[in-house]
Amino acid sequence: MYSLHKLLWDIRKDPDLAERYLADPDPILDSYGIAGGDRAAMRGLDFKSMHERGFNPYLIYFCAIQLKVDRADYYAQIRGEKN
Amino acid sequence: MAETTGRIVGAFTASHSPGITAWPERAEPAKREAVESAFTEVRRRIDELAPDAIVAVSVEHFTNFHLGNLPAFAVATSDSYLGPVTEEMGEFLNVAQRQYPGHSALGRHVYEFALQSDFDPALVEGGLEFDENFCVPFKHLDPESKHPLVPIIVNGVNPPWPTVSRCHDFGRMIRRAVEAQTAAQRVVVVATGGLSHWVGLPESGKVNEEFDRDFIARFESADESRLLDYTAEEIDAAGNGAHEIRTWLVAAGAVQVPFDVLAYEPVPEWLTGTAVAAARL
Repeated sequence: MYSLHKLLWDIRKDPDLAERYLADPDPILDSYGIAGGDRAAMRGLDFKSMHERGFNPYLIYFCAIQLKVDRADYYAQIRGEKN
Repeated sequence: MAETTGRIVGAFTASHSPGITAWPERAEPAKREAVESAFTEVRRRIDELAPDAIVAVSVEHFTNFHLGNLPAFAVATSDSYLGPVTEEMGEFLNVAQRQYPGHSALGRHVYEFALQSDFDPALVEGGLEFDENFCVPFKHLDPESKHPLVPIIVNGVNPPWPTVSRCHDFGRMIRRAVEAQTAAQRVVVVATGGLSHWVGLPESGKVNEEFDRDFIARFESADESRLLDYTAEEIDAAGNGAHEIRTWLVAAGAVQVPFDVLAYEPVPEWLTGTAVAAARL
Protein backbone atom coordinates (compact mmCIF):
# COMPACT_ATOMS: atom_id res chain seq x y z
CA MET A 1 0.00 0.00 0.00
CA TYR A 2 2.84 2.41 0.74
CA SER A 3 4.24 2.24 -2.80
CA LEU A 4 0.83 2.99 -4.16
CA HIS A 5 0.28 5.91 -1.82
CA LYS A 6 3.75 7.16 -2.74
CA LEU A 7 2.82 7.06 -6.42
CA LEU A 8 -0.45 8.93 -5.80
CA TRP A 9 1.44 11.56 -3.81
CA ASP A 10 4.25 11.84 -6.34
CA ILE A 11 1.71 12.39 -9.13
CA ARG A 12 0.11 15.14 -7.02
CA LYS A 13 3.47 16.82 -6.50
CA ASP A 14 5.15 16.29 -9.88
CA PRO A 15 3.34 17.57 -13.00
CA ASP A 16 5.94 15.92 -15.23
CA LEU A 17 5.28 12.52 -13.65
CA ALA A 18 1.55 13.10 -14.09
CA GLU A 19 2.05 13.78 -17.81
CA ARG A 20 4.21 10.71 -18.24
CA TYR A 21 1.69 8.61 -16.33
CA LEU A 22 -1.13 9.73 -18.61
CA ALA A 23 0.96 8.97 -21.69
CA ASP A 24 2.16 5.52 -20.58
CA PRO A 25 1.38 4.23 -17.09
CA ASP A 26 3.01 0.80 -17.28
CA PRO A 27 6.69 1.74 -16.89
CA ILE A 28 5.77 3.93 -13.93
CA LEU A 29 3.65 1.22 -12.29
CA ASP A 30 6.59 -1.13 -12.84
CA SER A 31 9.06 1.24 -11.25
CA TYR A 32 6.85 1.58 -8.14
CA GLY A 33 6.40 -2.20 -7.99
CA ILE A 34 2.61 -2.04 -8.17
CA ALA A 35 0.96 -5.31 -9.17
CA GLY A 36 -2.26 -7.29 -8.98
CA GLY A 37 -5.57 -5.67 -8.14
CA ASP A 38 -3.98 -2.42 -7.05
CA ARG A 39 -2.30 -2.13 -10.43
CA ALA A 40 -5.51 -2.87 -12.31
CA ALA A 41 -7.38 -0.22 -10.32
CA MET A 42 -4.63 2.34 -10.75
CA ARG A 43 -4.02 1.57 -14.40
CA GLY A 44 -7.69 1.95 -15.20
CA LEU A 45 -8.03 5.02 -12.96
CA ASP A 46 -10.92 3.12 -11.39
CA PHE A 47 -11.50 5.45 -8.47
CA LYS A 48 -14.36 3.42 -7.04
CA SER A 49 -12.18 0.32 -6.92
CA MET A 50 -9.29 2.30 -5.45
CA HIS A 51 -11.59 3.50 -2.68
CA GLU A 52 -12.90 -0.01 -2.05
CA ARG A 53 -9.32 -1.30 -1.85
CA GLY A 54 -8.63 1.13 0.98
CA PHE A 55 -6.51 3.78 -0.71
CA ASN A 56 -6.46 7.07 1.17
CA PRO A 57 -9.37 9.13 -0.25
CA TYR A 58 -7.47 12.42 -0.15
CA LEU A 59 -4.66 10.93 -2.19
CA ILE A 60 -7.00 9.31 -4.74
CA TYR A 61 -8.84 12.60 -5.16
CA PHE A 62 -5.76 14.82 -5.46
CA CYS A 63 -4.14 12.40 -7.89
CA ALA A 64 -7.30 12.42 -10.01
CA ILE A 65 -7.27 16.22 -10.10
CA GLN A 66 -3.61 16.22 -11.16
CA LEU A 67 -4.48 13.76 -13.93
CA LYS A 68 -6.99 16.32 -15.21
CA VAL A 69 -10.09 14.43 -14.12
CA ASP A 70 -13.04 16.78 -13.70
CA ARG A 71 -14.14 17.02 -10.05
CA ALA A 72 -17.78 16.26 -10.81
CA ASP A 73 -16.72 13.26 -12.91
CA TYR A 74 -14.51 12.05 -10.08
CA TYR A 75 -17.36 12.09 -7.60
CA ALA A 76 -19.76 10.51 -10.11
CA GLN A 77 -17.26 7.70 -10.62
CA ILE A 78 -16.55 7.07 -6.97
CA ARG A 79 -20.28 6.92 -6.32
CA GLY A 80 -20.58 4.36 -9.10
CA GLU A 81 -22.82 6.67 -11.12
CA LYS A 82 -20.37 6.75 -14.02
CA ASN A 83 -17.58 4.51 -15.26
CA MET B 1 10.15 50.52 28.98
CA ALA B 2 10.60 47.03 30.37
CA GLU B 3 9.46 44.25 28.10
CA THR B 4 6.47 42.32 29.30
CA THR B 5 5.72 38.74 28.46
CA GLY B 6 3.38 37.89 25.62
CA ARG B 7 -0.24 36.95 25.94
CA ILE B 8 -3.00 35.58 23.78
CA VAL B 9 -5.34 38.47 23.08
CA GLY B 10 -7.75 36.71 20.75
CA ALA B 11 -8.67 33.32 19.35
CA PHE B 12 -10.79 32.54 16.33
CA THR B 13 -11.81 29.43 14.41
CA ALA B 14 -13.16 28.97 10.89
CA SER B 15 -13.80 26.45 8.17
CA HIS B 16 -11.50 26.47 5.16
CA SER B 17 -13.56 24.91 2.38
CA PRO B 18 -12.21 25.87 -1.06
CA GLY B 19 -15.78 26.83 -1.99
CA ILE B 20 -15.61 29.82 0.37
CA THR B 21 -13.24 31.60 -2.01
CA ALA B 22 -13.43 29.54 -5.20
CA TRP B 23 -17.18 29.32 -5.79
CA PRO B 24 -18.90 31.46 -3.14
CA GLU B 25 -21.79 32.17 -5.52
CA ARG B 26 -22.96 28.55 -5.49
CA ALA B 27 -24.13 28.83 -1.87
CA GLU B 28 -27.59 30.15 -1.12
CA PRO B 29 -27.19 33.96 -0.93
CA ALA B 30 -28.27 34.17 2.72
CA LYS B 31 -25.77 31.48 3.74
CA ARG B 32 -22.96 33.14 1.82
CA GLU B 33 -23.81 36.48 3.40
CA ALA B 34 -23.84 34.99 6.91
CA VAL B 35 -20.44 33.35 6.47
CA GLU B 36 -18.79 36.32 4.76
CA SER B 37 -20.17 38.74 7.36
CA ALA B 38 -18.70 36.60 10.12
CA PHE B 39 -15.31 36.56 8.38
CA THR B 40 -15.50 40.36 8.02
CA GLU B 41 -16.28 40.73 11.70
CA VAL B 42 -13.33 38.53 12.66
CA ARG B 43 -11.03 40.49 10.37
CA ARG B 44 -12.18 43.71 12.08
CA ARG B 45 -11.54 42.22 15.51
CA ILE B 46 -8.09 40.92 14.57
CA ASP B 47 -7.10 44.30 13.16
CA GLU B 48 -8.38 45.98 16.32
CA LEU B 49 -6.32 43.59 18.44
CA ALA B 50 -3.20 44.65 16.49
CA PRO B 51 -1.39 41.32 16.97
CA ASP B 52 2.38 41.04 16.74
CA ALA B 53 1.90 37.48 15.49
CA ILE B 54 -0.82 34.98 14.66
CA VAL B 55 -0.42 31.35 15.67
CA ALA B 56 -2.20 29.71 12.73
CA VAL B 57 -3.33 26.15 13.42
CA SER B 58 -4.61 23.88 10.69
CA VAL B 59 -4.20 20.56 8.98
CA GLU B 60 -2.49 20.22 5.63
CA HIS B 61 -3.80 18.04 2.84
CA PHE B 62 -0.74 16.08 1.67
CA THR B 63 0.74 19.31 0.32
CA ASN B 64 3.96 18.99 2.35
CA PHE B 65 3.78 15.75 4.31
CA HIS B 66 3.00 12.30 3.02
CA LEU B 67 2.73 8.77 4.32
CA GLY B 68 6.50 8.40 4.37
CA ASN B 69 6.64 11.08 7.06
CA LEU B 70 3.39 12.29 8.60
CA PRO B 71 3.76 14.17 11.89
CA ALA B 72 0.91 14.31 14.41
CA PHE B 73 1.95 17.91 15.13
CA ALA B 74 4.42 20.20 13.38
CA VAL B 75 5.64 23.69 14.26
CA ALA B 76 7.00 25.91 11.50
CA THR B 77 9.68 28.49 12.25
CA SER B 78 10.29 30.16 8.90
CA ASP B 79 10.03 33.86 8.11
CA SER B 80 7.93 33.25 5.00
CA TYR B 81 5.59 30.68 3.48
CA LEU B 82 4.48 30.24 -0.12
CA GLY B 83 0.78 29.85 -0.69
CA PRO B 84 -1.10 28.57 -2.52
CA VAL B 85 1.52 25.92 -3.25
CA THR B 86 1.16 26.14 -7.06
CA GLU B 87 -0.21 28.69 -9.47
CA GLU B 88 -2.84 26.14 -10.47
CA MET B 89 -4.03 25.83 -6.89
CA GLY B 90 -4.09 29.62 -6.70
CA GLU B 91 -6.38 29.72 -9.71
CA PHE B 92 -8.53 26.95 -8.30
CA LEU B 93 -8.89 28.64 -4.89
CA ASN B 94 -9.17 32.13 -6.38
CA VAL B 95 -6.36 33.27 -4.10
CA ALA B 96 -3.35 35.08 -5.57
CA GLN B 97 -0.09 33.26 -4.89
CA ARG B 98 2.14 35.12 -2.45
CA GLN B 99 4.68 34.82 0.34
CA TYR B 100 2.96 34.95 3.72
CA PRO B 101 5.17 36.50 6.41
CA GLY B 102 6.26 34.26 9.27
CA HIS B 103 7.20 35.16 12.86
CA SER B 104 10.26 32.97 13.13
CA ALA B 105 11.27 34.07 16.65
CA LEU B 106 7.92 33.04 18.09
CA GLY B 107 7.89 29.88 15.98
CA ARG B 108 11.30 28.84 17.24
CA HIS B 109 10.26 29.60 20.80
CA VAL B 110 7.03 27.57 20.53
CA TYR B 111 8.97 24.63 19.12
CA GLU B 112 11.56 24.70 21.91
CA PHE B 113 8.91 25.26 24.56
CA ALA B 114 6.95 22.29 23.20
CA LEU B 115 9.97 20.02 23.64
CA GLN B 116 10.54 21.28 27.16
CA SER B 117 6.85 20.57 27.85
CA ASP B 118 7.10 16.91 26.77
CA PHE B 119 5.53 17.45 23.35
CA ASP B 120 7.49 16.27 20.33
CA PRO B 121 6.26 18.12 17.25
CA ALA B 122 8.09 17.94 13.95
CA LEU B 123 10.31 20.95 13.29
CA VAL B 124 9.76 22.68 9.94
CA GLU B 125 12.42 25.36 9.53
CA GLY B 126 11.47 26.12 5.94
CA GLY B 127 9.70 24.95 2.85
CA LEU B 128 6.23 24.63 4.36
CA GLU B 129 3.71 25.61 1.72
CA PHE B 130 0.07 26.44 2.19
CA ASP B 131 -3.01 24.95 0.58
CA GLU B 132 -6.61 25.86 1.37
CA ASN B 133 -5.78 25.36 5.06
CA PHE B 134 -4.58 28.95 5.45
CA CYS B 135 -5.05 30.53 2.01
CA VAL B 136 -8.86 30.33 2.07
CA PRO B 137 -9.59 31.76 5.53
CA PHE B 138 -6.77 34.32 5.43
CA LYS B 139 -8.07 35.72 2.15
CA HIS B 140 -10.92 37.01 4.30
CA LEU B 141 -9.11 37.50 7.61
CA ASP B 142 -5.92 39.20 6.41
CA PRO B 143 -6.19 39.91 2.68
CA GLU B 144 -2.98 41.95 2.65
CA SER B 145 -1.07 39.25 4.56
CA LYS B 146 0.27 41.83 7.01
CA HIS B 147 0.24 39.70 10.17
CA PRO B 148 3.24 37.37 10.63
CA LEU B 149 2.26 33.75 11.17
CA VAL B 150 3.47 30.79 13.19
CA PRO B 151 1.91 27.87 11.33
CA ILE B 152 1.16 24.77 13.38
CA ILE B 153 -0.01 21.65 11.58
CA VAL B 154 -2.14 18.97 13.22
CA ASN B 155 -2.74 15.67 11.48
CA GLY B 156 -6.46 15.66 10.71
CA VAL B 157 -6.23 13.87 7.38
CA ASN B 158 -4.98 10.35 7.92
CA PRO B 159 -5.70 7.88 10.72
CA PRO B 160 -4.56 7.36 13.36
CA TRP B 161 -4.99 10.97 14.45
CA PRO B 162 -3.82 12.58 17.69
CA THR B 163 -6.52 12.26 20.35
CA VAL B 164 -8.82 15.18 20.99
CA SER B 165 -7.48 15.61 24.51
CA ARG B 166 -3.92 15.70 23.20
CA CYS B 167 -4.93 18.45 20.78
CA HIS B 168 -6.48 20.42 23.64
CA ASP B 169 -3.35 19.93 25.73
CA PHE B 170 -1.25 21.13 22.80
CA GLY B 171 -3.30 24.33 22.79
CA ARG B 172 -2.74 24.79 26.52
CA MET B 173 0.97 24.38 25.91
CA ILE B 174 0.82 27.08 23.21
CA ARG B 175 -0.61 29.55 25.70
CA ARG B 176 2.13 28.78 28.23
CA ALA B 177 4.68 29.19 25.46
CA VAL B 178 3.29 32.58 24.45
CA GLU B 179 3.35 33.71 28.06
CA ALA B 180 6.99 32.62 28.45
CA GLN B 181 8.49 34.93 25.81
CA THR B 182 8.74 38.60 24.92
CA ALA B 183 9.34 38.55 21.16
CA ALA B 184 5.62 38.78 20.40
CA GLN B 185 3.59 40.67 22.98
CA ARG B 186 0.13 40.37 21.46
CA VAL B 187 -0.67 37.02 19.94
CA VAL B 188 -3.85 35.88 18.21
CA VAL B 189 -4.68 32.21 17.56
CA VAL B 190 -6.55 31.32 14.37
CA ALA B 191 -7.51 27.67 13.89
CA THR B 192 -9.08 26.41 10.66
CA GLY B 193 -10.87 23.29 9.49
CA GLY B 194 -14.14 21.36 9.67
CA LEU B 195 -16.90 21.08 10.36
CA SER B 196 -18.57 18.00 8.86
CA HIS B 197 -17.40 17.04 5.37
CA TRP B 198 -16.22 14.19 3.26
CA VAL B 199 -13.19 14.53 0.98
CA GLY B 200 -12.67 12.23 -1.99
CA LEU B 201 -15.45 9.93 -0.81
CA PRO B 202 -18.84 8.95 -2.22
CA GLU B 203 -20.55 10.92 0.57
CA SER B 204 -18.87 14.17 -0.49
CA GLY B 205 -21.41 17.00 -0.53
CA LYS B 206 -23.25 15.67 2.52
CA VAL B 207 -23.34 17.78 5.65
CA ASN B 208 -24.00 16.25 9.07
CA GLU B 209 -25.84 19.17 10.59
CA GLU B 210 -26.70 17.28 13.76
CA PHE B 211 -23.03 16.59 14.46
CA ASP B 212 -22.09 20.17 13.64
CA ARG B 213 -24.71 21.76 15.88
CA ASP B 214 -23.84 19.44 18.74
CA PHE B 215 -20.14 20.25 18.33
CA ILE B 216 -20.94 23.97 18.29
CA ALA B 217 -22.98 23.64 21.48
CA ARG B 218 -20.05 21.95 23.20
CA PHE B 219 -17.59 24.47 21.79
CA GLU B 220 -19.66 27.42 22.97
CA SER B 221 -20.06 25.94 26.44
CA ALA B 222 -16.32 25.63 27.16
CA ASP B 223 -17.28 22.54 29.19
CA GLU B 224 -14.14 20.52 28.60
CA SER B 225 -15.68 17.26 29.74
CA ARG B 226 -18.17 17.56 26.86
CA LEU B 227 -15.82 19.16 24.36
CA LEU B 228 -13.26 16.38 24.69
CA ASP B 229 -15.76 13.54 24.84
CA TYR B 230 -15.21 12.37 21.28
CA THR B 231 -13.87 9.11 19.96
CA ALA B 232 -12.37 8.99 16.48
CA GLU B 233 -15.36 6.87 15.41
CA GLU B 234 -17.82 9.52 16.56
CA ILE B 235 -15.99 12.15 14.54
CA ASP B 236 -15.92 9.79 11.54
CA ALA B 237 -19.73 9.97 11.46
CA ALA B 238 -19.29 13.52 10.18
CA GLY B 239 -16.78 12.58 7.50
CA ASN B 240 -13.05 12.19 7.06
CA GLY B 241 -12.80 16.00 6.90
CA ALA B 242 -14.52 16.41 10.27
CA HIS B 243 -11.30 15.24 11.93
CA GLU B 244 -10.11 18.79 11.30
CA ILE B 245 -12.09 19.87 14.38
CA ARG B 246 -8.90 18.93 16.20
CA THR B 247 -7.61 22.35 15.19
CA TRP B 248 -10.58 23.97 16.96
CA LEU B 249 -9.70 21.98 20.06
CA VAL B 250 -6.15 23.34 19.94
CA ALA B 251 -7.63 26.86 19.91
CA ALA B 252 -10.00 25.98 22.75
CA GLY B 253 -7.09 24.71 24.81
CA ALA B 254 -5.12 27.87 24.13
CA VAL B 255 -7.77 30.10 25.72
CA GLN B 256 -10.09 27.86 27.81
CA VAL B 257 -13.02 30.25 27.58
CA PRO B 258 -16.37 29.94 25.79
CA PHE B 259 -16.51 30.76 22.10
CA ASP B 260 -19.31 32.53 20.25
CA VAL B 261 -20.13 30.96 16.93
CA LEU B 262 -20.67 33.97 14.67
CA ALA B 263 -21.99 31.90 11.79
CA TYR B 264 -22.90 28.31 11.10
CA GLU B 265 -24.34 27.25 7.80
CA PRO B 266 -24.65 23.78 6.30
CA VAL B 267 -23.47 24.43 2.75
CA PRO B 268 -23.53 21.30 0.56
CA GLU B 269 -22.40 23.43 -2.41
CA TRP B 270 -19.15 24.13 -0.52
CA LEU B 271 -19.13 20.49 0.67
CA THR B 272 -18.95 21.48 4.35
CA GLY B 273 -20.73 22.53 7.45
CA THR B 274 -19.22 26.02 7.50
CA ALA B 275 -18.65 27.96 10.70
CA VAL B 276 -16.75 30.95 12.08
CA ALA B 277 -16.25 31.48 15.82
CA ALA B 278 -14.57 33.87 18.24
CA ALA B 279 -13.34 33.27 21.77
CA ARG B 280 -15.03 35.37 24.44
CA LEU B 281 -11.85 37.03 25.64
